[in-house]
Amino acid sequence: MNNNAHIPKQDLSLYAMQALDASEQAAVKAHLDACEACRAELAAIMGDLALVAMTAEQHPLPEGARQRFLGKIGADRIGAAQAADKKVVSIAVGSSAQKPRPRRAAAWIPWSAAAALLLVAAGLGEKLHLANIELEQQAARITSEAGVNQRAREVLDVLTAPAAQHILLTAGSPRPAPSARAVYIASRGALILQASNLAQIDTGKTYELWVIPANGKGPIPAGLFRPDAAGSASVVLPQIPAGVEAKAFGITIEPASGSSAPTLPIVLAGAAPSAGE
Amino acid sequence: MTEEPSNPIGPLARSFNSNPATRGADHQQDSDAALIDRVLLRDQVAMTTIFDRYCSMVYSVALRVLKDPAGAEDVMQQIFFEVWETPRNFVAGRGSLAGWLAVVSRNRAVDILRRRKPSDPVEEVELASETNLAAEAERNIMMEKVRNHLDKLPRDQQDQVQLAFFEGLTHSEISALTGVPLGTVKTRIRSALISLRGAVQA
Repeated sequence: MNNNAHIPKQDLSLYAMQALDASEQAAVKAHLDACEACRAELAAIMGDLALVAMTAEQHPLPEGARQRFLGKIGADRIGAAQAADKKVVSIAVGSSAQKPRPRRAAAWIPWSAAAALLLVAAGLGEKLHLANIELEQQAARITSEAGVNQRAREVLDVLTAPAAQHILLTAGSPRPAPSARAVYIASRGALILQASNLAQIDTGKTYELWVIPANGKGPIPAGLFRPDAAGSASVVLPQIPAGVEAKAFGITIEPASGSSAPTLPIVLAGAAPSAGE
Repeated sequence: MTEEPSNPIGPLARSFNSNPATRGADHQQDSDAALIDRVLLRDQVAMTTIFDRYCSMVYSVALRVLKDPAGAEDVMQQIFFEVWETPRNFVAGRGSLAGWLAVVSRNRAVDILRRRKPSDPVEEVELASETNLAAEAERNIMMEKVRNHLDKLPRDQQDQVQLAFFEGLTHSEISALTGVPLGTVKTRIRSALISLRGAVQA
């Protein structure tokens, strides 16, 4: 036993990296087999080496590498299935071999066709199996995202439900002024407007929201709306082009069918903060 | 005493804000150990999850050693297939799966580089690291710490660690290559690893 002389830690570090010379490597290995303390120290060093290993710059896998791996682990089961299939086929061959007289070619054609079909089936089975794995993973992803979607939908429902009461809290002014709040994401062309305390308008009229582009082009119509009895209204995700930087938003009163250009006066307007704010 | 009545907006705001966190937890819900248990039962979905979690790390380590994408992919494919075939070789108590995969990937790649037989059966690689590196974010933080620390070491000490670890040179070869005495090479590599351990635990 060489327990009484533990391996110097310097040498253990090198041993862990296989950086000792062959004879030294063997001597350390012999000691380790008998020495728990040195094995524990080696395990600690391996932990350090794992950290060094992970400093390697990260690269994405070569194309198709993932599929090749899935194929490998799927191929296992398929391999077993093929082996089982072969057994069936070999019984058929055995039964024909019992007949001493050679049979007509036509007699074995069905068997070869059956074997070919089994191979095709095995191939399809493999594809199906891989597809199933993908499907299960997608299902897991969808489940985890469904919760988030559900929440987003609830928020949207609260904001836009006809039954929702919109209450503006102010510092005690008797008649709050009409106001609206727009949320806009230019890159997606996503726009949500919440308006309150709007004046009631004639039945032949409508409010219309406009996006006023920063590039100086004409205002883009962004939805028609009428206030409820309390003067509240909303426009949620109107069909507008994406990627339009907005300079401002405006609301006008238009004929019930809307207009392609705003009719003055603009009853409510707000400038968009400049990009990056 | 109760915070709810004094903050009626709280529950809504909290539950809404906590959703992304919950989702993150779902994503990381399966611990490596639980996945390995499922791989023992031939669960291909669990194996695929392990693969997706660590493939790029294992590939990158092998690529760093071999500098050859095809060779690095071979190493990666072989290691994950081994996990699939003999998950028993990796059981709880051997340290983190991430660390184990990283070390085995380096060892296999160096074996190829040096054209020697696989000298280190996987079951012999045992790690003491308890750090949970299953979450990519934690791995990234850890890597950043280690990289920063290695960068701060004296240049020749960094080089010697790199030569031993990623180039797979023995201490005598490093000594011959750099002209640094053998004993100094040993000491520097050892002290680099010790200081690394300290930096990560700090």
